[in-house]
Amino acid sequence: MKTRYGYRDAISGFFEFPTENARKILPPHLEPVELHHGASIFSMTAFDFTESEVGTYGEVVMAVIVAPLVKPGERLPKSAFYPYRVATTTRAAREHAIERWHLPHWMEDIQLEFQREGRRVGARARSLDGEPIADLTISDYSWQPVSHLYQSFMRNEQGGFLANIVMEGSQSEHEEETGSLVLHDHEFNRELMISEVSDVPFRELWMRDGLQTFDPLIQLQVA
Amino acid sequence: MEPLPKKDDPSRTTFTDYDYSNFYYGAGDDPLNLLGPFGQWYQEALPNGYYLYSEPLSAAPGTRVVVRNRKTGTLQELLNLASYNYLGISYRDEVKEAAIEATRKYGLGASGSPLLSGTFDIHLELAEAVASFKDKPAAILFPTGYSANVGFISALMRPGDNIVCDQYAHASIVDGAILAKSRTTFFRHNNPMDLERKLLKCSGKKLVVVEGVYSMDGDVCTLPEIVEVCRRHGARVLIDEAHSTFLFGPNGRGVAEHFGLDDEIDFHLGTFSKSLGGQGGFVCGSADLIDYVNAFGRSRFFSCNLAPPLAAGLLAGLRIVEREPQLRTRLWSNVAYIRRRFAEEGVDIGKSASQVMPVLVNNDAKVFSVAEKTQERGLYIQPVTYPAVPKHKSRLRVSVSAAHTEEELETAVGVIAGVLREEGIIR
Repeated sequence: MKTRYGYRDAISGFFEFPTENARKILPPHLEPVELHHGASIFSMTAFDFTESEVGTYGEVVMAVIVAPLVKPGERLPKSAFYPYRVATTTRAAREHAIERWHLPHWMEDIQLEFQREGRRVGARARSLDGEPIADLTISDYSWQPVSHLYQSFMRNEQGGFLANIVMEGSQSEHEEETGSLVLHDHEFNRELMISEVSDVPFRELWMRDGLQTFDPLIQLQVA
Repeated sequence: MEPLPKKDDPSRTTFTDYDYSNFYYGAGDDPLNLLGPFGQWYQEALPNGYYLYSEPLSAAPGTRVVVRNRKTGTLQELLNLASYNYLGISYRDEVKEAAIEATRKYGLGASGSPLLSGTFDIHLELAEAVASFKDKPAAILFPTGYSANVGFISALMRPGDNIVCDQYAHASIVDGAILAKSRTTFFRHNNPMDLERKLLKCSGKKLVVVEGVYSMDGDVCTLPEIVEVCRRHGARVLIDEAHSTFLFGPNGRGVAEHFGLDDEIDFHLGTFSKSLGGQGGFVCGSADLIDYVNAFGRSRFFSCNLAPPLAAGLLAGLRIVEREPQLRTRLWSNVAYIRRRFAEEGVDIGKSASQVMPVLVNNDAKVFSVAEKTQERGLYIQPVTYPAVPKHKSRLRVSVSAAHTEEELETAVGVIAGVLREEGIIR
């Protein structure tokens, strides 16, 4: 049974950060993708969901890009990621994602504000009492319809899991280095060596008016 | 093993959705898992433009070349804008004669490691000539430019040391750093302020690695500012002058000489494959440095030495460079001419300040059709696209030679500008 989430905007920034930081975040069975020797990839994605089993909500996903699981005869994923921290604007969305996808959540609601100004879009994440968490800004380039397969790896006390996710919609992707990221000194960002995370995304990915479709969760054999 | 997917199988890859970067990382239980998806993609990529890579030449890489089209199988005579050979030396008669004579004298190869039985008198002569040309006490030869960077960096640096590279550093520099197992960081391209930020986080031994001319953009290193930052932080500087030795500076020694910083640079590295159109690499420096690299440069002494006929041809080529400074004058005149003509036609060559010029297409979907059309109209030139350059920074890479005539360059500009206009890249 597939699970679908419709969104108005899904914006991602991809940033270099030290591989030693990536390895501290990742479980041992996952390998970080390196952009350069010693430099792995941290991503922040903000979703503006307009349609789901749990209504409309906003979501922030902090992740490390990892090697996808490739199996003969199966569609090759575009890329794979390990979300190590997910936060939502509603409790219902949080409980749904924990129960169904075993995603590691920030256990409080957050505020997520999208700022749309022409060809730029920003996402401001704040705690409920207004403490700043992260500010991501990206810009667009050219748009084209896509349907891409991604893999999301999860791990909890029950073991390791994989979700195949198809992202459909209109996509803009570029490496113009026009975006920015501010990670605030907040408990939310405790896994990151903030001063070592690049504040300019080497890649900016913007999808809009799209659909995110999850295949049922797969349990992995991991040590 | 499971069979490969059939053509209408939804699991098969689609050419436009993927690029080389998608086939590098793949977890699973079989090291061959990526071969199937890559093979399917590559078979689709080939007729869609990737056939333009590795098209075999059947004549010397002069300004006109005979190329076998990998798509049609036909032989075409094309105007060459793709080969290095910046001074048009590799096919000069005296170079060929020197190689032929050395073949008669020494036979084909060195038949040994340079550390053991593979060093010949011609190698020592070439190393001395290179050191003299670069005005350095000594030089050491490597079988390729790649192995020079890999061997030199890993000979000098150790785990716990710091290597700080420009983000556009050549793969051989990165691989040298990996082999050294040093802490490696990258500063933003040609950005001394970011270099300083990176150096502030380093303690212990520090090596900063830059290139004289960057091979994809043809821009020149901001060496004066970088040297100043390195001085402040006690970092040693290695400059890879693969694309600038024999070309830049009053005596052709390279970009370091061009900026008057020859003596401020700790380690000078270069290749014979670019300006001389041959093969091999070298490092110049103090006699102590060369002795040390001779002892610890693994990529060198675990390889067979340069073939003596090649060394003899390189020596003859080097003598031409020394004897004919007008070749550099001619090259820079050609560079100025084609730059002016590109500007007049509205063709964007980015920040190029050298004989390497990216003709920016800035459209990953169109770069192959642009390249195909330029070849159909008589040019030998390759497209460069992601992941070799950032997304949407695709380009045709032009190499200008002293051997080109103005008529040839004018033909090239006409074809390129015409195709870019047809494709809507320029007006």
